[in-house]
Amino acid sequence: MTNLYIRWGGLLIVTTVLIVLTYHHYRDNLASLVPQEVRKEAPTGEIRVLGMVQGGTLKTRDAGEATFTLLGKSATLPVHYQGPPPDNLRELKILILIGTWNAATQVFEARDIGIVPNYGFIAGAYLLGLLPLALFLFAMTRRVNFLYEEIKASKLYEEE
Amino acid sequence: MTIHRVIRKVQRFQGWFGGGAALCLMVGLYLGLIGSPPDYYQGEVVRIMYIHVPLAHTSLLGYTVLALGSLWYLWKRDPIVDNMCQAVAALTAVFTALALGTGMIWGKPTWDTWWTWDARLTSFTVLLLILIGYLMLRTFVDDPEKEARYGAILAIVGFVDLPIIHFSVEWWRTLHQPQSISMRGVSISSGLLVPLLFMSVGMSLLFSYMLMVRTQLLYLDRLLHAKKGRLLSQFHLSKSDS
Repeated sequence: MTNLYIRWGGLLIVTTVLIVLTYHHYRDNLASLVPQEVRKEAPTGEIRVLGMVQGGTLKTRDAGEATFTLLGKSATLPVHYQGPPPDNLRELKILILIGTWNAATQVFEARDIGIVPNYGFIAGAYLLGLLPLALFLFAMTRRVNFLYEEIKASKLYEEE
Repeated sequence: MTIHRVIRKVQRFQGWFGGGAALCLMVGLYLGLIGSPPDYYQGEVVRIMYIHVPLAHTSLLGYTVLALGSLWYLWKRDPIVDNMCQAVAALTAVFTALALGTGMIWGKPTWDTWWTWDARLTSFTVLLLILIGYLMLRTFVDDPEKEARYGAILAIVGFVDLPIIHFSVEWWRTLHQPQSISMRGVSISSGLLVPLLFMSVGMSLLFSYMLMVRTQLLYLDRLLHAKKGRLLSQFHLSKSDS
């Protein structure tokens, strides 16, 4: 039984380390800001901003350029996107923009436009899919070990 | 070669199944969560496919094993096969419930609803209900031989739900997308297909490994009860003789 706990303890430690590393990867590379945070903090360098394309503000040009206003809870950001507008770029759609905030012109220069990543749903699905299986397997292996020990202890086991 | 000999031979490689499952799932999780590109329309949320689809595939595989095992049991009355059927039913029920749960989580961001009475979802729920019914039946009947026989009949009758699940997306107009991998070909890009294959193989190996552990568990449980019962009856017999 001790071996079982050591094996599963090791697995638990490895899993915890992987979850912590994934969380750090998410926080450092994938976490996004909202328009009011961009206005308040004026971050430099490339950032990700989450918001909704305000109705009636989207203007696209044939040359491959789009301008619109990104709506947050308490602030808006004028956005300029250079390149062929993707299909997902529509009014009233929640999007994630990758680019830089130009504090001088007060315009967000978007390099890439993607739809909402929904990381919460992804994490939820993987936890729901894998955690019960791990717990079920652990409970079964523990029960098998317990039964072996009980059979040995009660001297019911006979070599056939 | 009788079927229980095959089961015994396969069980010798239990560790390989567990190790193979861990390896495939680790590679699949890495590719699925980090190494694969987001989908053009669904974005990042497509990554739920790598857990949902393998769980669903494995559930269908599990039920097929249950139905075939039940047929074999009715023909040969091999108790080892019945033991395996009982083990596979519980595992398939868990995998089916998890496939439905992860599907609901995927449905919310893509369909904007947790649940809809769609043909695929409904037929899959019916599968879960059949399995729950099977497991309940196995606890209600006192006579072990009758219990195994009734269970086998229910499992074979319930198999009718499998083609309904498989063809539901073609027979009816549903919200659920049609099959990406079928006899007609593969309609999914290789960047998304490779992690899906790793996760599917990993999940099938994990299912096989768990099945071996559970079959062993049920066997030991029965052995302990039988031996305890035998000792008890010997004790009563010796008491009555004296």
